[in-house]
Amino acid sequence: MGAVLAKARADGRFRLSQEQIILIVVASLFVVFSVLLDGFFTADNLLNLLRSVSSLGILSVAMAVVVIARGMDLSLVASMGVSTAIAIQLMRSELSTPEALLIGLGIVLLLGAINGFLIAFVEIPALFATLASGLLIYGVARTLVLDGLIVELPPDREFVRWLGQGVVFGIPAPIVIFAVVALVAHFLLSRTRTGRFIYAHGDNAGAAALTGIPVRPLTLIEYMIAGAIGFCGGLVMAGSVGGFNTQIIDGSLIYDVLLVVVVGGISLVGGRGGVLSVLAGTALIGVMLNGMTILNMNTHEKDIVKGLILLAALVLDNRLHPRDEETVRQGD
Amino acid sequence: MSQSMVDLLDISPDQRDTRLVDLRKVTKTYRGVHAIKDIDFTLDAGEVHALVGENGAGKSTLCKILSGAVQPTSGEMFIAGERVSFRRPHDALEHGVAMVYQETSLVPTMTAAQNIELGHERLLTRFRSLNIGAQQLLMSMNFHVNPTAYVSTLGAAQKQMVEIARALRSNARIVIFDEPTATLTPEETLHLFDVINKLREAGLGIIYVSHMLEESLKIADRVTVLRDGERIVTLDAKKTTRDELVKHMVGRALTGTQTRRRSGGDGKPQRRRKVLEVENLILGNVVRNMSFSAYAGEVLGIAGLIGSGRTETAKIIAGALKRNRIHGGRVLVNGKPVRYRVPKQAIDDGIVYITEDRKADGFFETMTIAENLYLGYLASRRGRKRWLLSRRRRAEIAREWTKRLRIKAINSDAKIVELSGGNQQKVVVGKSLVADPEVVIFDEPTRGVDVGAIEEIHQMIRQLADEGKAVIVISSYLPEILAVSDRILVTRFGRAVAEFSAEEATQEKIMYAAIF
Repeated sequence: MGAVLAKARADGRFRLSQEQIILIVVASLFVVFSVLLDGFFTADNLLNLLRSVSSLGILSVAMAVVVIARGMDLSLVASMGVSTAIAIQLMRSELSTPEALLIGLGIVLLLGAINGFLIAFVEIPALFATLASGLLIYGVARTLVLDGLIVELPPDREFVRWLGQGVVFGIPAPIVIFAVVALVAHFLLSRTRTGRFIYAHGDNAGAAALTGIPVRPLTLIEYMIAGAIGFCGGLVMAGSVGGFNTQIIDGSLIYDVLLVVVVGGISLVGGRGGVLSVLAGTALIGVMLNGMTILNMNTHEKDIVKGLILLAALVLDNRLHPRDEETVRQGD
Repeated sequence: MSQSMVDLLDISPDQRDTRLVDLRKVTKTYRGVHAIKDIDFTLDAGEVHALVGENGAGKSTLCKILSGAVQPTSGEMFIAGERVSFRRPHDALEHGVAMVYQETSLVPTMTAAQNIELGHERLLTRFRSLNIGAQQLLMSMNFHVNPTAYVSTLGAAQKQMVEIARALRSNARIVIFDEPTATLTPEETLHLFDVINKLREAGLGIIYVSHMLEESLKIADRVTVLRDGERIVTLDAKKTTRDELVKHMVGRALTGTQTRRRSGGDGKPQRRRKVLEVENLILGNVVRNMSFSAYAGEVLGIAGLIGSGRTETAKIIAGALKRNRIHGGRVLVNGKPVRYRVPKQAIDDGIVYITEDRKADGFFETMTIAENLYLGYLASRRGRKRWLLSRRRRAEIAREWTKRLRIKAINSDAKIVELSGGNQQKVVVGKSLVADPEVVIFDEPTRGVDVGAIEEIHQMIRQLADEGKAVIVISSYLPEILAVSDRILVTRFGRAVAEFSAEEATQEKIMYAAIF
């Protein structure tokens, strides 16, 4: 897959953006799967596909915000999971739904601020800061706050349930929420000053600082935005299965999210790509995952495919945007 | 590890007279710009040949070519009569060319002996024999360095000794010293000269690169002066003087460059308003007791060698130094003491710093001209009021500034990376000027800029001062300093050591002040 993309790019004959190339690949995959796989092109499966892809897509939008700023949030799934689980646990008490949701949002914003602080002020590389904070968040939550592995959503909390299972004009709610999140994020990134600053930060942090952009506070904001978007994804997940299984945090979801972001064309170099890239990446990975499930591949076989795609996408990214560009300087 | 001075001294007489280095018409161009051009250079066995020249004259490029770090674009290179072309430093080492670096290239976590042996290890190393061999080598040069000491614990002079020992260990016959005395005390310098004399007696060829002219004349047999990448002259060190060298180094002044700047007006503004005042600024070893003032409506040129604390001072003023640990002194803006931690604060107070390296932290490469300029606006006080972007505002700013700065591009939606160096520089300048600053600090404003654009940028600098801004121009290029400045400050070792008015300044005076 990636090889095909690379070739298409290398040939230079296709003047297509990475998103367009991916959408073409998605379309062809879709056709191939529909023809070859029994049960792929059925209303049930397609709805299922869209629903399962929604939460992945929302999380990927969250990741995209920090990756565009040349950051990385490996604690995304952990902070999403912990804040969602706590919110749902609070719903099992007297608290009203809005109160519980606000507290969950507060927690996720705080975690984002901590990540941003570690990266911007303590100056730990984002990769390691969030790797450590992710472990810490989950560990602390499991030992001190959460009652068990699985937090069940009480049946009377209809709003959260609706987020995962509701229908709006015949469209499943998760898809609607994904669309809303994507639109809001797109607006933020492309139409607001903060969005421009995020791109500038990812393009060249040094130049951003010299231009007068408050880079360090901006970093906090980036990780808080990512956390908040992730929280939406967590609620959709919880709503669709009627509870939250914190084991997801230990799973490979974070890799799927990275896969979507990188495959979609949001370069890890920063400053490139956008919400459209996420949509393209989500479509591709969604169809792939669904096809693999129908093919009855086990987790490890899936991992092989995912790993290969991720590697191919990273190679492509590296080719398109070499990281240490050789700055040719004059002597002396 | 049997190699020692004893063996080195055993070079037979017929080998002594061989010409060790012979460069013929060596040229190196970077993207069409000459770093060095048609250089002829020779070095005989038993000779010390000094290379002098201003920053950017091509000394380092020449050394890099000799040591295999850089490949020449054209020209021929003979080492001991054999035609060579080095592809990497290892090739040069095999031909006996070793370099003693300015910033040492030793591995700090290894011992002195391990560093000396680096690259010559056998499969199995006995530490005992390693240390004994290193000890013998060091003693033969009268170096007081413990071979088992970790390099990170050694002082600058001792590190240099280890580097020299390493060069000898690899059987070097040609040793290049790049600014060897920059970090040494006077006593250590004397010791180094002893060592160099010993190497000369042993029949090695020494290339000695230094800013210090007296020193070069003292140690060298011949001196070659480079200027703007060309060899100007090669002189007998015993028969020449420092004054003569300086003349050759700056030569351009004698061919008549423009030295007055005022376009209109017939002198200084009537009443000078002090906008910026720097008092006894200290930052580690780099800036030591720097003091000066800048006035509205005036261009202050700051000349000085690289490393004399110019850029650091500017960055402290503009809050652009990453770890801003001022150890002493203060900066006053309009009489009010300030200490900026980030550039944003300085920009809000009307002080902008325009970087010397636009690729590293000047522009946003993924963005267009218009987007780059618009970001400068968004980050400024005025632009911060609105949260939503305005395409119309962006287009207005792009139109205004591409016109004012004469940025040449098909349209303002062209990607900035597609522009020439000069136009890129103009965009970077424009991005800062959008904030309407009161103090503008240019650091090497025309580095890597095409000749046509240089004059335009100079005009722009003068115009800014005419509009009443306080302008500071840091430049290593003396004609530039002379062309734009009303007042010229010379820095050396982190201090402002001399000040000239535009009328009295000449390239010679500035060079004298900058060097000694």
